[in-house]
Amino acid sequence: MAEADYDDWNAEDTVDHAALDTLEWRRSRFRVLVCIDGSDSAYDGLRFAAQVGKHEECDIVLLNVRPFDQGLRTGGLQVRLARENMLNWGLEVPGVEQLKKGFDLLLEHGHSAQEWDSRHAHSKKWGDPVGDSKIEFRSDANKRIVLKLKVAPDVASGILDQYELGPYNLVIMGRPSRWQGEFRSFFDAGVVQKVAMLSVCSTLVTRDYAPGRGFLVCTDGSAQSRNAAKRAAVLASFCNETVTLLSVAPIPEKVEKAERLVARTKLIIEGSGVPVAETRVRVGEPIETIIEEGKDFSMIVVSDSGKKRLTRFLAASVAFGVMGRAENSVLNVR
Amino acid sequence: MANLSLVADSLQAHPPSGAWFVRLRRKGYQRVLVIQTQINLYYFWEKRWFFIAMGIGAVMLSLPLPDGLSRDGMIVLTMSAVATILFITEPVPLPTVALLIVVGEILLLGIDSTIVAKSLMTDSVLFIMGSLMLAVAIVKQKLDKRIAWLIVRLTGTKTSHVCFGIAVVSGLLASFVGEHTVAAMMLPVGITLIRLTSDEPARVRNLAAVILLSICYGCSIAGIGTPSGGARNAIMIGYWKDFFYDAGDPATYRYLIDYLKWMIYAYPIFLIQLPFVTMLLLMTFKPEYSDLTRAVARLRIQVREEGPMKPSDWLTVFFFLMILITWIFFSSEIGMGTVAVLGASAFLIAALVRWEDMNAGVNWGVVLLYAAAISLGLEMKETGAAAWIAESLLDLLTPIGATSGFGLWVSVSGLTTLVTNTMSNGAAVAMLGPIVLKLAVAAEESPLIIGFITSVSSAFAYLTVVGTPACTIVYSSGYLKTVDFLKAGFRMVLVSAVLMLLAAWLYWPWLAR
Repeated sequence: MAEADYDDWNAEDTVDHAALDTLEWRRSRFRVLVCIDGSDSAYDGLRFAAQVGKHEECDIVLLNVRPFDQGLRTGGLQVRLARENMLNWGLEVPGVEQLKKGFDLLLEHGHSAQEWDSRHAHSKKWGDPVGDSKIEFRSDANKRIVLKLKVAPDVASGILDQYELGPYNLVIMGRPSRWQGEFRSFFDAGVVQKVAMLSVCSTLVTRDYAPGRGFLVCTDGSAQSRNAAKRAAVLASFCNETVTLLSVAPIPEKVEKAERLVARTKLIIEGSGVPVAETRVRVGEPIETIIEEGKDFSMIVVSDSGKKRLTRFLAASVAFGVMGRAENSVLNVR
Repeated sequence: MANLSLVADSLQAHPPSGAWFVRLRRKGYQRVLVIQTQINLYYFWEKRWFFIAMGIGAVMLSLPLPDGLSRDGMIVLTMSAVATILFITEPVPLPTVALLIVVGEILLLGIDSTIVAKSLMTDSVLFIMGSLMLAVAIVKQKLDKRIAWLIVRLTGTKTSHVCFGIAVVSGLLASFVGEHTVAAMMLPVGITLIRLTSDEPARVRNLAAVILLSICYGCSIAGIGTPSGGARNAIMIGYWKDFFYDAGDPATYRYLIDYLKWMIYAYPIFLIQLPFVTMLLLMTFKPEYSDLTRAVARLRIQVREEGPMKPSDWLTVFFFLMILITWIFFSSEIGMGTVAVLGASAFLIAALVRWEDMNAGVNWGVVLLYAAAISLGLEMKETGAAAWIAESLLDLLTPIGATSGFGLWVSVSGLTTLVTNTMSNGAAVAMLGPIVLKLAVAAEESPLIIGFITSVSSAFAYLTVVGTPACTIVYSSGYLKTVDFLKAGFRMVLVSAVLMLLAAWLYWPWLAR
């Protein structure tokens, strides 16, 4: 396994058994992708990842994506010229610093990765002189922490490509700078929104993450949402957070049904060995109610029930509404 | 194809049974599945703007001709509209747009391919190409440490003084060698100063913004100073000549703007803007440190390690001055493009720069892009499309009373600022140039003044990262956020616009008499 499972740069285009083994092995792990852009909220996300990542079966990958340099925008002078000039002065590529800071933060949280075995890998991508590079730290128990610097045509596709390289269970991103409505996002979506829309796995958007205030898990009673609630509850117990269940009835007549759903979900969660601290049923507009209720929690957990773009377009998705408009962290379970 | 053979294999392994129509249906279904897997829907999603632009083009071409516009005029108009959408949204690499313009001129307009090919290379394009090669040659000389030394020697250690020094030196240099060159040279100086002040980026956020934006805006405002400051100036000079110059009519000779004449018009505006840059930046971002003694002292040590000026450094300075003198005094006879190309060859002959470096440092796509954009601009004039848009615009402006004088200037400047913030400023001038010049004719305004307003306003792309070359380069350092550009940029736009309008009102008419 030693050499075979080592990351092949293009695991997806060289179909050999080593690569397949790697993928197979990665599927057995809980892999967290933390996107670092240097903002505080991204480091908040990293703190959460550090908490979850204490468990042996969890790998943490820190990713910084740099859009590749376009000479056309600089009036015909290649940006690499400026970049080479900076390297001459002993200044590093932006992103390296940010990843280093992230790594220090992980060390602070008790990941003793500096003592682990480490490997470097580098590849030229998109004709960019700097290209992709990464450092992988491996513990004796085969737990990994990876720092990766990547170039891509744009940040969102870089993050999504990274998913393709190895399945991840959770993508963590910092506070979005903009979040468009469903119609506008068709033409012009921000990075976080684009990844949240297109990602196959769960996504977490962190905004001022404050641990210890519990998870508010929202459920609409669908099979998907029950499953999501269960997984979120397990995650909550991973980081010693309490679980509060919430169901919102759009009209007063449906309160009874919502109560039934919450009770059922509670049974499912408790069946997996996680206690539920409280259950709540509210009446009102779902998005606003969830945001209002969730204010004082560490994290709001929603699940978009696998709606396709068109359905979302016709009937706005509650999950996306909450993700975009909430003031605190939102986890979208898929 | 791998999928197809897979299906075939599976069919052999399990021979289909049942009636012929069941088999046929099953086969058809499998075919559909295979085709589904082979269509990459994400491709269409990524390139959606390309298809939207093409759709708009098709609709425009099938619309009935508006009054006063010829068939060819409509085609050129459509091509410009499609090109503009593609410039802004960039679904395909931008040089592709240039290639499409060339193909469109031949196939849609039916112009002979030799004529189109000839229209691609003009003195302006040669000038843009030569300037870019010169830019690489100059950046490669590593004179940045000397310049840093000069700045800190002149300014002392107070933050405000250092920032002003950076803006002045960046600006003065950029006005001659182009903003991208200076931005690339000064960026490490700025970042070194920031890093030497504090290792913690969060603690020097505002200082970083002030220093880096001083470089960026210092370069941007300087780009208008001389024709070599930016591609857009050369493009406008080319348009004036093509639109108004007539060898047989001495009255049109004033539309031949050479290097020196341009400087007389535009250089004062740049100089007046300089103090405002530092003032506005210090007002917008209050830097955390008002004194940079420590950083400056450490920078001095770094710079001193370089030792005294080497002969090659002196040679660079000599070449630079020679090129400048030739531009100022001889470009009206031999052409500005010739001088630029001559300068680039001098650097190559003296082995100050390797061709490989030059080749890798210049994005040749830009040359292609400007060539095609200018060629399309000239077609807009030839087919009457430019005049038609100009007249329609004038009709639109009539109700708000902006058909002449100050109102028209404000409208032209506003339009240019709007366009230039969404695409590269050279492309903005290339697209807008023919329209505004025809607008000037229709409104009986001086085409010189309107032309200057357009090319000067095209430098007002302070708001976005993509607007000006200097902004893009400085942004690539990763120290700035896009909102920083917005925060300081809108004030800069206001100040610059007011100063330019003052010049258009008081100074230029006096020159253009």
